[in-house]
Amino acid sequence: MSKISSTVTIGLVANPFSARDIRRVISNAASLQVSDRANIVMRVLSAISTCGVKRVLMMPENGGISSFLKRDLLRKQQLGDNCFTELEMTKTPINGTVEDTFASTKAMVDSGVKTIVVLGGDGTHRAVAKVCGQVPIAGISTGTNNAFPEYREPTITGLAVGLAATGHIPESVAFTLNKLLCVKINDGERSDIALVDVVVSTERYIGARALWRTENLRELFVTFADPEVIGMSSIAGLLEPVSRNDFGGLHVLLDDPEVAKNLLQVPIAPGLINTVGVQSWQQLKPGIPFTLRQSSGIIALDGERELEFGPEDTVQVTLYEKAFRTVNIGACMRHTGQHRLLVGAPLELLAT
Amino acid sequence: MSDNPFPLSRDELLNIYQTMRTIREFEERVHVEFSRGDIPGFVHLYAGEEASATGIMAHLREDDRIASTHRGHGHCIAKGVEVKGMMAEIFGKKSGVCGGKGGSMHIADLDKGMMGANGILGAGAPLVCGAALAAKYRDKGDIAISFVGDGASNQGTFLESLNLASIWNLPAVFVVENNGYAESTSVDWAVACDSYVDRASGFGMPGVTVDGTDFFAVYEAAGEIIRRAREGGGPSLLECKMIRFFGHFEGDMQTYRAEGEVDEIRAKRDCIKSFSKTVTAAGVLSQEDLEACDTDVLSLIEEAVSTAKAAELPTEADLLTDVYVNY
Repeated sequence: MSKISSTVTIGLVANPFSARDIRRVISNAASLQVSDRANIVMRVLSAISTCGVKRVLMMPENGGISSFLKRDLLRKQQLGDNCFTELEMTKTPINGTVEDTFASTKAMVDSGVKTIVVLGGDGTHRAVAKVCGQVPIAGISTGTNNAFPEYREPTITGLAVGLAATGHIPESVAFTLNKLLCVKINDGERSDIALVDVVVSTERYIGARALWRTENLRELFVTFADPEVIGMSSIAGLLEPVSRNDFGGLHVLLDDPEVAKNLLQVPIAPGLINTVGVQSWQQLKPGIPFTLRQSSGIIALDGERELEFGPEDTVQVTLYEKAFRTVNIGACMRHTGQHRLLVGAPLELLAT
Repeated sequence: MSDNPFPLSRDELLNIYQTMRTIREFEERVHVEFSRGDIPGFVHLYAGEEASATGIMAHLREDDRIASTHRGHGHCIAKGVEVKGMMAEIFGKKSGVCGGKGGSMHIADLDKGMMGANGILGAGAPLVCGAALAAKYRDKGDIAISFVGDGASNQGTFLESLNLASIWNLPAVFVVENNGYAESTSVDWAVACDSYVDRASGFGMPGVTVDGTDFFAVYEAAGEIIRRAREGGGPSLLECKMIRFFGHFEGDMQTYRAEGEVDEIRAKRDCIKSFSKTVTAAGVLSQEDLEACDTDVLSLIEEAVSTAKAAELPTEADLLTDVYVNY
């Protein structure tokens, strides 16, 4: 095994604007402070530094995270800690919009990062997944519903990512393939993806983006239906659980609770349990496009209203298997323990 | 179930459009008249920011009070202050809503709950705490709203007001209209901790950030925040991320803005254009509805300017009126 030093680069997207929406007042959703987000990044950097990763390529932003990081990293440098991972920003524009995430992620992929660590909610992860191709994502929940990223101490995520990226953990163990949903309007005139859920509402405006009024929901598609998460996918999860690794997803027909066959109590946002009207549900088979029943309305992707459509539009939703990769943090850490990877120090770096 | 996919009726949507269009035409015309030298003092124009004032004020009652900023024309119009009286005030005429003695930066109409634009940055927030305290004692469900810009959000008066409103659990709403520049200083340079939601948390109140160029985004968020305040839920902070079409003040050369920035935002982030597109695409309002409204607004503004120009200036005898109030 030959040693390497600084060839491994990890990408990092930390969204300073997640968890700022209307759910702070319509429910009791938390809002993680910018300084806490910077602290999470420092914890990740500390862990991956331990694994021998010398360079991180990060999305530049103007929401405050970078300023805190600069201060903390300067302090480490002044204290003589020169082994800490080098942090560099992608040379991409800062507009304070999702375009920043697209541009920066693309720059990371182009520069050959091994993995991209993402701090954000479902929307941030979706934005990264749109661009990252086959580069695996490691998610850290800093959003509101967080159906896609799992709750976990970021230091552990950092260790798993560091060990996986430096080749200490075999790819077959470290990475998992995931499903996604693709929405196409008029054969791709407009298209987008969702990692967890696509919801159709009768509303015709984007508004405050978050979706919480359940009386207007008409159709739901999910990649997985986990009864342990909150948000739109929990509707499906409370009807027929489907795991992230199961074949296919679920398609649920919804209606106004006043006329629906069944009523379901759903944790639609943190602390907000709403009544949802359910008509029926069926398995969503991969690769087969479903045409929406609703003739006009709005499509929410992973809980956020994104696309308007009218009677003149044809909208199709298709589930795809093995669409993008994530780091399987649990599997990585089990492998680490079973093979005593962190026994002895410093770690021997492996060629990847 | 209604066929209208919006949270407002057709008439209400038309009224919203009329308000936003009135603000826009009012400001575009003041821009022209100021350049001719006919308007005394300074003016700071609200064009481009109409969705914020309109989306918030759509939830207010006449007994709700607001305190505005130096950029207050839009807040006045959306709160129902009479347009001809406003134009006369800005021209410094006796028929103005403040007798021509307030001008653009001190324009007010207490009968409409508009406690005034304010030439002192951040000075409206303590006034709103007073109004909200009175509302709390009256217990009639009325509330008070303070508008500040991103620059004024750094003033001690604003931060002290957040604290006061929180400890007294006042029915107050603090709206930060973040247009990205404190005069010419970018918000990235001037606001510590960057997130207004974090600031709100620091004072024990919820905060929400919305796209202030999207009427429906502002309307939804403001509706929930205002309802919370009316129901005794206490104060909240709403950050509207927005843009201004003109400079900080009329005459501002705007050398701090990127080349083409204003042209791009006028083309791509015009809140009136996006509102029009949304409501016409859904078939609730037609292009003819909007055009008829445009004609009415242009006529109103034309009349406001011509009557303002023809009106009398205050006289020497007016100098000492409205100075003291008997209780």
